[in-house]
Order: sequence, then C-alpha cells, then structure tokens
Amino acid sequence: MAGPAFLSPRLRATLVGLAPVAVLIVLLLGIGLFVPSFLSSYSLGVLMGESSPILLLAIAQTPVIMLGGIDLSVAAVTSLASVLLAYLLPSLGVPGLLVVLVITTLIGAAQGYIHVVAQLPSFVVTLAGMGLWSGVALSLAHATVPVNQGYAIVGWLQGTTLGIPTGFLFGVAGALALWACLRWTRLGRYVRAIGFGEIAATLSGVRVGRVKILVFALSGFFAGLTAMVLVARTYSGDPSAASSLLLPSIAAVVVGGTAITGGFGGLERTLVGVMIITVLRVGIAIVGIDPGYEPLAYGVVVVGAVALTIDRSRLLVIK
Amino acid sequence: MSAPALSVEGVSKAYPGVQALDEVSLVVRPREVVGLVGENGSGKSTLLKVTAGLVKQDAGVIRVHGKALPAGNFSAAARAGVAMVFQEQSLLLNVTVAENILLGCEGDCVRYGFYDWKRLAGKAREQLDKLGSTIAPDAIVGSLSFAQRQVVELAKALAIEDRIGGEPLILLDEPTSVLDAGEIDKVLVQIERLRGRASVVFVSHRLEEVLRVADRVYVMTNGRCVAERAAKDADPAELQHLMLGQQLTQQYQRETLASPPSGVARLSVRGLHCGDRCRGVSFELHAGEILGLAGVEGSGREVVCRAVYGAVAPTAGELVLEGKTVRLAGPADAVARGIGYVPAERRIEGIVPGMSVRQNMTLAHLQTVERGWMLDLRRELRLVSDWIGRLRVRTPSTESLIGQLSGGNQQKVVLAKWLIAEQPRVLVLDHPLRGLDIGAKAEIFARIRELARSGIGVLLVADTLEELIALSDTILVMRDGEVTARFAAHERTPQPIEILEHMM
Repeated sequence: MAGPAFLSPRLRATLVGLAPVAVLIVLLLGIGLFVPSFLSSYSLGVLMGESSPILLLAIAQTPVIMLGGIDLSVAAVTSLASVLLAYLLPSLGVPGLLVVLVITTLIGAAQGYIHVVAQLPSFVVTLAGMGLWSGVALSLAHATVPVNQGYAIVGWLQGTTLGIPTGFLFGVAGALALWACLRWTRLGRYVRAIGFGEIAATLSGVRVGRVKILVFALSGFFAGLTAMVLVARTYSGDPSAASSLLLPSIAAVVVGGTAITGGFGGLERTLVGVMIITVLRVGIAIVGIDPGYEPLAYGVVVVGAVALTIDRSRLLVIK
Repeated sequence: MSAPALSVEGVSKAYPGVQALDEVSLVVRPREVVGLVGENGSGKSTLLKVTAGLVKQDAGVIRVHGKALPAGNFSAAARAGVAMVFQEQSLLLNVTVAENILLGCEGDCVRYGFYDWKRLAGKAREQLDKLGSTIAPDAIVGSLSFAQRQVVELAKALAIEDRIGGEPLILLDEPTSVLDAGEIDKVLVQIERLRGRASVVFVSHRLEEVLRVADRVYVMTNGRCVAERAAKDADPAELQHLMLGQQLTQQYQRETLASPPSGVARLSVRGLHCGDRCRGVSFELHAGEILGLAGVEGSGREVVCRAVYGAVAPTAGELVLEGKTVRLAGPADAVARGIGYVPAERRIEGIVPGMSVRQNMTLAHLQTVERGWMLDLRRELRLVSDWIGRLRVRTPSTESLIGQLSGGNQQKVVLAKWLIAEQPRVLVLDHPLRGLDIGAKAEIFARIRELARSGIGVLLVADTLEELIALSDTILVMRDGEVTARFAAHERTPQPIEILEHMM
C-alpha cells in the first residue's frame, strides 16, 4: 500500500481487469500462428458452439462465487435436467420445458435454503447435492434417453443465427441479462456487498439469507438452461451429460478474474474466461500437441491467469 | 540489590492522532506484583505490548533483568523471559491442556515426530503444580471453564521459567474481565501464588482487585504514568481521581438539553435481559435526546446497543418503538423500522472496504434510489454527492474505494448511510469516535449533536467519559450487566468521578 506507485490505483485496476482479455488474444494469435485456418470464421464458429454449455454453467456459477460461496451441484443438476427433458418433452411439449426449469430453480433454492438455515458451508451442501442429483438422474435413466418427439422445442439452439451458433448466442444473452440484473438492481449490489463483507452487509440491514437463496435459485435456473443446450446438441438426455463440465466451468469463472473469495468480478469476466478455457481445450488439439499434455497446459494457464488477475490488496486472508 | 525484573525507561509510542505512550518509566522488582490502572485508552495495553515486543516503541528502552531488549522483537522478549497473558485467551480449544502449556517448546516430549504423551503430561503437571492446580493435563481445553483456562494460560506463561533458567516476567492484560465473581477469586488466588516464582504486571479495570493482589500500583492517564503508590496504603478514591487526570472537559463545548425531554418516548427498553451480559436494563429515549451508556469493557453496554439494533436476541424484556412493542428478527428488521447503527469495529462491521464510497453510502437504503425494479444510478450519484458535500467527506470521488479514505471520512460515510433516506427514528452509535484523530473527532462530534437536535433519538457508547459527558443529555452507568446509576444533564453536569464510582 505504501510507497510511490508508478501507476494510479485506478489505472492498475483497469490493467489487471484487462489481463484475461490479453491472455485470450495471445492464445488466439499464438494458435493462429501455427494453424492459420484456426482463425477462420468456420472454426471460430465451431469454437463458440463448443463453448456454449460451459458458458451457461459458468454463468450459473458466477453470482454464487461472487457471494463468496460455490455451487458444486450445477453440473449434476444439468445432467438431471437433461434426463427430465428427454422424458417430458415428448409427452408435454413446451410446458415440459417450463416444468424442468421450475424444478432446477427449486433445487437451487432448496440448496440455498439449507445453506442459510442450517449454517452449512455452500461447499458442503452442494457437494452433497452433486451426489444426490447425480444419483437421482442415474436412477431415472441408466443410459442415454433419446428425444423422440418435441426435439424442436430445444433443437433451434443447434442452428446458427447470422452465422453464429444459436446456442452460443443463447448463452451470451443469458450472461447479458444476468449482468444487467447485477448492475442495475438491488440484488447485484447486495451480492457484491455480501461477497466483500458479509458482516458489514448484515449490519447494514441487508437480508443476507434471502439474497443467498435467490442466488442459488438463479444458479439452478441456469443449470436448467444448460441442459437445453446439451439436449439440443446430442438429441438425448444423459445422466452424466454435464459431469465433465463442472471443473472447466469453475475454472472459467476464476480465470476470467472473478475472485474465488467473493465480491470482486462479474459476468463480463466470465465470458472471457469461458473463451480462454475453450480455446485452450480445442486449440491444443488443433496445434497438434499430444492431448496428454492438455491437462498440464490447462493447469498452468489457470494458475497463471489467477495470479495475474487477483487483486491482493482487497483480500484480508488467502485461504 | 539485584537488577529490577523490568525497567521501562522513557518509552513513547504514537499512533496517528494519539500519543498512546508519552515517556513512560516504571520499575518492577523481582518477585513483585505491580498493578497498572487507568481508563480505557490510557495506554496500559500498549505498554504491555511494547514490553512483550508486539509493538515497537518510538523511543525509550525496555530492560528485563538489566538487559535491554531489542525494540519490537517478540521472540527476543520471550527468550528474555517475558510472557504475556492476553485479554482474549490465546489457547487452542481443541487440544489438551498439556499440549497448550508446552506449545512450541515441546523439546524432548517429541520423539521421532510423535508425542511422548506421558512425558508431555508430566511436564505440564509440573507447571500446574506450581500453581497448586488440579486440572488434568489430558483434559481438552475447550471443556474447561473460563477461570480454569486462565490458570492454564498462567501455567503456560510459567513454563517459560524452565526454558530460560530464570524467573519469568508475566504480563497479565485484564485476566479477569471475562470472568464472573467466583471465578475472579480463583484467578486472583493463582496470581498470589505467582509471587514466589515470578514478577508480575497486572492490568485490570477493577480497582479493588488490583489493590488486593498488587504490591505497588502505577496509575496511567493519557499515555503517561502519573503516580505510583504502595498498594497497602493507597486510597481508592485518590486513585480514581488520578486516573481521570485533568479531564479535558474544556476540549468539547457542552451543550445539552435545557429541560428534561418530554412527550412519548421514541424508544422504551423495559427489563432487557441478554443472558448474563445484560440484566434488567430499562430506559427511555426521547426524540432529540442523546442517551449515553457508561461502563467498562464487558459491562454490557455494547450488548444493549446490539439488542436495540436486533443483532443480539434478548432473552427477556421488551423494546417499545414509538408506543408499539416490537420484536426484531435481525438488523434488517431494525433498519426497516428506522433504527440505524454505527458499529464499533468500523473496518469489519461498518464499511465494505472493497466497495466504493457511493455503494457504501447507499447500502442500507437502496430502495430510495430505486425506480421500479432498477437502480437509478444517476439519482444515486446525485444523492451521494450531495451528502459528501453536506458532511464534508474528503474523498477523491464518489467512486473511490472507501478503504482508501481516512478513518474520519469513512466514519462520515457510515453516518451518511443512515441519513440519506427518511430520517432515522433512533440512531445507535457504538464508539463513533474510536480511532479518529482529534480534528475528525471534533467534526463527527458536532455532526452527532446536530443529528440529535434535528429530532433523532441517539443511543451512545463513547470511548472516554469526557466524550460521553460532553455529548449526553442523559447518562446511564452500567456495571456487570446492570444499570447502577442514572444522571440527567439538565439538572446538573455529572462529574467524571461520580460516574466512575458506579462503573468500577
């Protein structure tokens, strides 16, 4: 804190905030140098399509992490929702979709409620939820469930709009909506306040419990939307559809520059983080690096990006 | 005669805006128990911390057994035999008594990386025996009473004796403040036992305790050592006078209500109980009145504040707000009913350091800048700029992080937080002047009075009696959770000494 800083704090904060964007550009250009066709509109389109489920899951995760919590159950809830969609779309049609979204929202709210009322860490509650909802999904369907009828209700997400994959636009629209909600409503202000200083927020009269439950409900809702994209991509529901997406989605939030300790961050950052993670996954294969090295590069970038973006002056304790 | 166990020579320490220690000198002879008394903020704790090497003095020397200690070096002080028993106990609650006593100096009790439990228990037993205590070394500390823990803490301090091969100097920072009467007695007996093995500096708010166990007493006021008395011929009344020093009452202009407050009370508190921490507290707070709560740390005045704000649930009694009995489920309820709260721990409880001045100022009343579902950011900006001007908050901009402002300016933002919406009915101020420099104090001081005159009922806990007397229209004195006296300023100005008598 002391000593002459050669950059004003504000400028420094801006630069740190832009670091993930720089990382993304470097990654894109680097891969483009090896494989020029990687930067073609076709392969970028594929990239966007590829990223849409992680994008939606990361959106579900972002406000929870901004609160200082975590939701480990999002992927399991998504898998369960994909199975429910596969069962309900043929018989119920559009109302079936709504029912599934209501269910996932209620699941999120219930987890938030337990977290708040039983005073259990969100890590614990959602870890239990992850097991529970995976179990429910597996007991409903032992294998993938094809969507025989009513696919069109989610199938439109598989197409392109103005040359851009519709699923990706769907995710971006979701991110925009939530971003606006966090910026221009009381909820967003409260989420940040709780993330930065829960005690001070409580003593300012913020109804912290309600805010938390609402945020977990939102997380559940976005898990439901993720399932729509997955079902559209695979024409089926799968009890383990999203299980491999949990860690990448959390990594995306953190790499984008949202502090895992809460308060600092936002959805615009998550969007960049998702692109970094996806370029990394796809790019490594394209460049021709042995896929065995992918986890290695992945780990290095995650730690490197977080080291660059974390603002240590705002944190009291690193844990 | 051998060298004194401790000699403090001309030690000074300044914090921004406060001279915490001002050329303090004192001597503790071997095997002597010396009491240190003084008001809150008189520098007692700072002196102990400097002696233990936790705080680095600006000037002066600390000698232990004749040898000068390097300033601000905790481990050097520990090696020289200085052991400090903290106000907040420093024991690990989830492990055994023996592990705690020998923590960090297990020595040959650890073999091949494993505890030799028998040897460990034996060594701990030795220390406990010195105090004649029967606490089992294998008991888990968390299962002991507070008084027993304090004995373990003393045994831990005594363990230093074997390590350095000399007599320790033990610093006790209010070891009795969290104990009840029976427990206090036990701890005092233990302190008497220490006399044969160690030199002791004993800090306490309770004068009678100090006079009971100490050989000599030093009195501190405003960072200076103002008197030294032998305990057996000390006069408590004289000590109280000395503690208050020349209270600088002229520093603040007194200007209290001329007549008793009248009309229906804004807030009536009737028979409020919060466990043992406050018992049967009743008072009435009127519009425009500043009601000050006096008492030492732990007297229950902070608990009363928190109960009025809904942050602590009372176990009995009722709160009546403008004639209506209310039950507060939490701070949010209190805010909704027009009660505001300025907490004592500003940095943790008062502000959200990672957010801007603007966001902090509107946090409690966001609905006032809401239009429909949306926040009207422009209106928010206007409102915040307006209040920055009215309270003269010095900040680079509305968007600066509040953590970067000085304490006084942070406190103004915290005050503004309760003023931007409809005027609050009741404002609870818990140490609103804490940690502020003199200029900032005077400014906040003036604001508080203005607020009261504009019709808010103010409940106040202040750092010093002079502040309390200068601001309050009514003063309630609390001791051990109960109200022991009431002074109305419109009748006559109470003297600090009268209030102190009821506090101690």
